[in-house]
Amino acid sequence: MEKLQQRLDDIKEKLHNSTDLADRCISLQGVDVGFVYLKSITDNQIFSEAIFKPIAKLDIVSFESVSKAVCANDVTSIKKSEINENILKGAVVILLSNSNKILAVDILKFNTRAPQEPPTSPVIMGPREGFTEDIKTNMTLLRRRFHSEKLVFENTFVGNDTKTQVVISYLDGIADTKIVEEVKHRLKKVKIDGVVDSYYLLSLLANRPDSILKQIGNSEKPDIVAAKMLEGRVALIVDNSPIVLTIPFVFLEDLQNSNDYYTNYIYSTLLRFVRLIAIFLAAVGPGTYIAFQLFHYNILPIKYIITIADATQQVPFTPFIEILFISLLFQVLYEVSLRLPSYLGLATSVVGALILGDTGVKAGLISPPSVIVVAIAKIALYTVPEQSSQLTVLQYVFLLIGASLGLLGILGGMIYFINYANTVENFGAPYLAPFSPFILRDNKDGLLKVPLSKMKSRPQSFDTESEDRIHENT
Amino acid sequence: MKILDKSLSVWQTGILLFILLFANKILVLPSLLYDGAKMNALFIPISLFLLEFFLLFIFYKVKKRFPNLSFIEILRQNCGKIVQISVYVLFALFFLCKAVLLYNVTFIFFRNMIYKDSGNFIFLFCFIPIINHMAICGLRAMGRTLQLFFPVISVITVFCITIGCFGVTNMPLLFDSSVSEIFQTAIRHISCFGDVAILFLFMDKIEVKKGQWKIIFLFALAGAFLVTSVITLFLFSYNYTSFMHSYAIFEIMNYIKETAGLGRIDIISMVLIILFAYFHLSIYLKGFLLAFDGIFQKNDQIFGVLTFDFLFVIIVEFFIVNLETAVVYGQTILPFFEIIPFVIVPIVCAWCFMRRRT
Repeated sequence: MEKLQQRLDDIKEKLHNSTDLADRCISLQGVDVGFVYLKSITDNQIFSEAIFKPIAKLDIVSFESVSKAVCANDVTSIKKSEINENILKGAVVILLSNSNKILAVDILKFNTRAPQEPPTSPVIMGPREGFTEDIKTNMTLLRRRFHSEKLVFENTFVGNDTKTQVVISYLDGIADTKIVEEVKHRLKKVKIDGVVDSYYLLSLLANRPDSILKQIGNSEKPDIVAAKMLEGRVALIVDNSPIVLTIPFVFLEDLQNSNDYYTNYIYSTLLRFVRLIAIFLAAVGPGTYIAFQLFHYNILPIKYIITIADATQQVPFTPFIEILFISLLFQVLYEVSLRLPSYLGLATSVVGALILGDTGVKAGLISPPSVIVVAIAKIALYTVPEQSSQLTVLQYVFLLIGASLGLLGILGGMIYFINYANTVENFGAPYLAPFSPFILRDNKDGLLKVPLSKMKSRPQSFDTESEDRIHENT
Repeated sequence: MKILDKSLSVWQTGILLFILLFANKILVLPSLLYDGAKMNALFIPISLFLLEFFLLFIFYKVKKRFPNLSFIEILRQNCGKIVQISVYVLFALFFLCKAVLLYNVTFIFFRNMIYKDSGNFIFLFCFIPIINHMAICGLRAMGRTLQLFFPVISVITVFCITIGCFGVTNMPLLFDSSVSEIFQTAIRHISCFGDVAILFLFMDKIEVKKGQWKIIFLFALAGAFLVTSVITLFLFSYNYTSFMHSYAIFEIMNYIKETAGLGRIDIISMVLIILFAYFHLSIYLKGFLLAFDGIFQKNDQIFGVLTFDFLFVIIVEFFIVNLETAVVYGQTILPFFEIIPFVIVPIVCAWCFMRRRT
């Protein structure tokens, strides 16, 4: 008894006698049986009903009889060096005084929320469920969409201290094996203390981590991830994160929306053009307005000049300072409305947008055209919410360029940025494909969207094992 | 993903060729041509394009004969190292001088039209970082960027030409100048041509499969056709006052009164001019860099770019200060450099062909 107790004490000591660590030691037919587990992450009811009670009823106590008696799904024999790891992952470790073998029974349980519609990607039509923080639920959500042996889940653990479970998911025979291997290789190379959320992996896996460009796709919706996997992408499901990463990523993915696939294709095409215009407005709208106001007022139509002159003659600031001030005000209001409780956030938005804006115009501190230009640009940012952070930065960059170099600078900046984006490739996929390089086949689901029946093949922007999506003879 | 393997696809090469043929001929050239050859100016671009197509034909032949070799290797194997370096020195000078002319014409246009009384530095500050970036990032990125902007460029071009058709009121009299005037004017303004020669410098980076040459030739034909259209529309719109209107594509848009309801649509032509200026200068710088690499064989892009920037700024800042000096520079000094694409390159290529045969 003392010997087993000593073994239990050693385990507890290695786990720093954590307050949620529980151990029990019972004697059955002259054999001591010890149990160690973490109360905080295990199911006490299962422990008592499926493990403790059946073992207590045993007539002959041996390692084999104990492992047979346990009524749980995940029962494994482990080595001594794996005891702590198993306890920390929510297993009960069972030790016997008459055996050196050790048994681990997974009874992990913690509270998780049910799949809900993600706040970042609501839809009018189509599935509403979203991923949760529980990796098993997330795997279930994907498995439900593929009743096929092609779906592969491969486990890996990242983070020296967190040992976060990361599941590499792909469709065998569709995803390119080189891309899958490259993902595994890069995950292996990750040396970090902890991965708290999937976003930690973004810069660790990206080709150019210092770039402003988003290089790895992400989604909170299983239907989107499933669709991307069908195109040949690899998904990374990270434990404790409701956001699943997809690789490779091209800019076009953010221009697409899940609603596009659940509505008429002509309407979807129209919406994609609207989104493209919105991206343009968001990035260069305020900068272009400033450029025309400061440098090129002489080429503007006379009626427009009169309107602008009327509106701005009382404003004490330069156009650049005025636009910058309004932009920063919007940004502050946005940050506040995100962080405050919803009822306070709404009130702040009303006070900020309506009262401050209106009073500012009436006081002559800001002009109505500037407010309109900034408001349009800020609203346009969220037509493509996944790119809003990049577009916000670009908005300020182009504001500065427009104010200092005019239209020549704005167009030069656009060329510079697009050329820069053209140098970026993620896992072999050119960032701006299928627009540049132009790939006709991929443009069926590019800016234009054709009916699903016409999209017969997988994207050519990156490698896949199988090209055909619709087989003519089936 | 085999289509992405090579630096330049055949479509990207075609677009690049289109810009080389079109971009620097739609601003001041039509007015200058009229000044020298009156209405017969129409025949000058057509005849000079024949020279340009002859050069393209030589490129086609060389590429077919030496499909996997670079121009450096072809010259070294057939003409020796000294000839190769000499040709590349001339190429470097050629692209530098052409970049200077293009920059000056564009700079003067913008200073007169939309940057009232601005100094040269604001333009240098805009152009130099962008063209440096495009040239350093390589042909693949440049080709893709051109491909992305091409729909915008082509739509604006077609729009400008379509709008320009409204301005044609009556057919002017042709043959109002002598053949010698036409010939002299063509020689004076030959410096706007010959850009096709840059294709030789990266011929090994272009992948042309069987049957794809026609794509390249179609882009070249489209470029030539559109330039001729712009010049024709400009001359037909302004007739005998064409010499007073310096900036053709912009003036075409200005002339049309029927589209007044649309507002200032001439802004669209400015966007086109800006895009062309950036892209064309980037291509010239890339040409310079490739020639520079061919001279020193070091593949040191930064050194090449800094050399270009230094020489470019010196020439632009101290030697060519207004439209008159730019025009004189383009009409007197630059025509001599046209010997490179139209004489030296054909001779060298012919020599390589003969050597290969023997």
